[in-house]
Amino acid sequence: MTDQLSYPDVVTWAVPFFMAAILAELFWIVIKGRGGRYETRDALTSLVMGAGNVGSGLLLGFIAYGFFMALWQITPLDLGTAWWVVLLCFVLDDLRYYWVHRFGHRIRWVWASHVNHHSSQHYNLTTALRQTWTGTFTFMMLVRAPLILLGFHPAMVLFCGGLNLIYQFWIHTEAIGKMPRWFEAVMNTPSHHRVHHGRNARYLDANYAGVFIVWDKMFGTFVPELEAERPDYGLVRNLGTFNPVRVAFHEWVGIFRDVIQPGLTWRERLMYCLAPPGWSHDGSRDTSEAIKRKHLSRNPQDAGTPGFPAPPDGPVQN
Amino acid sequence: MPLAVLLPLVVAGIAGIAVLTYLLGLSRPAVLADTAAARAAWCREFPDDAPRRVVLSHDRHAALVETATGSGIVWPMGADTTARYLSGARITRTATGLRVDLPDYTAPRIHLALDDDEARRWPTLMEASA
Repeated sequence: MTDQLSYPDVVTWAVPFFMAAILAELFWIVIKGRGGRYETRDALTSLVMGAGNVGSGLLLGFIAYGFFMALWQITPLDLGTAWWVVLLCFVLDDLRYYWVHRFGHRIRWVWASHVNHHSSQHYNLTTALRQTWTGTFTFMMLVRAPLILLGFHPAMVLFCGGLNLIYQFWIHTEAIGKMPRWFEAVMNTPSHHRVHHGRNARYLDANYAGVFIVWDKMFGTFVPELEAERPDYGLVRNLGTFNPVRVAFHEWVGIFRDVIQPGLTWRERLMYCLAPPGWSHDGSRDTSEAIKRKHLSRNPQDAGTPGFPAPPDGPVQN
Repeated sequence: MPLAVLLPLVVAGIAGIAVLTYLLGLSRPAVLADTAAARAAWCREFPDDAPRRVVLSHDRHAALVETATGSGIVWPMGADTTARYLSGARITRTATGLRVDLPDYTAPRIHLALDDDEARRWPTLMEASA
């Protein structure tokens, strides 16, 4: 069994490329006068969040790696390091990413970590770097366990995860419209991911893909970007602060305050942690389903169009 | 990448991009074109509670909003805006206008640049409809 295996830390090696690409996008926008927006404090917050993400990885990464190495010690399987094993690992890790990302939007405990990535009202390459500081505490490392147990070495799995993150960097832009049709059909693209960052009722809880958009098409969460409806970026309730500490921890604070409310049952306290974002014991808040329902009550003509359920009496063609 | 290289690279990169965006004039706060824009900015955050009344600040960077539920503020978040109700707010006069402290971890403090007349009137309006 291969115990010692090392791959380059591709994410840190990509940092100079990230910086260069941000500068290129910024100058493109300023010179052309289109293709996105930049704002100083927003960009600064995103970049500091990115640096903090690297820092938290350096401080807490040993927890996930220790867990993966423990699994590696107990699995009898070892698929080796052939190129096709790396390729298979990349594809399966992208499937893993899809589900972790979907959990990140549907389970408040995981959303508390992921929410900061959606907290910018801008959508540019700095937004890609607005990453979590608290990913370790979501325990989503568990979703990688099957890969290790199937015989993919932990170092290979983390290498593929790093490549996945680097792929996702370039799709955080408005400077690119649509890619060729064959590419849009298979791969995650700026267009697909703009939808994911949209706070429009239509675009909520859609396009969770990392690299391959086919997962969304397979699991019924794909929504195309519509010419007639530009994504409106940010959170359903936008933050009123650029303070990175508040950006990083605000949803955890929200969970804590909800859970310690007096007079709740234990089930209600648990639901504040695990139910979809927007759940409340007294129905005073809106989940994404409620937001879509309210939108349809105001705009019934949208029923059955992308991102909205069909009306009860049958599908509507758009 | 060695930490001794990564750290200076990240610090210089962040500082450089921040300074560059500032020098390119990309730090100007959002301006609400008119009361309709302020109303839209409020409804963007609270679509179920449309304003009954909107008062724009003299520089159109902020708006005081009155709804059936209570009063609220629309203010710039960089080039964009956000909004909050004023329930539980502590309002303090400052040299440049008002400071609003909210019991909200996601929007703890709002600094409103108001002229003297607004700074005198707005707290009364806020309390009247809160």
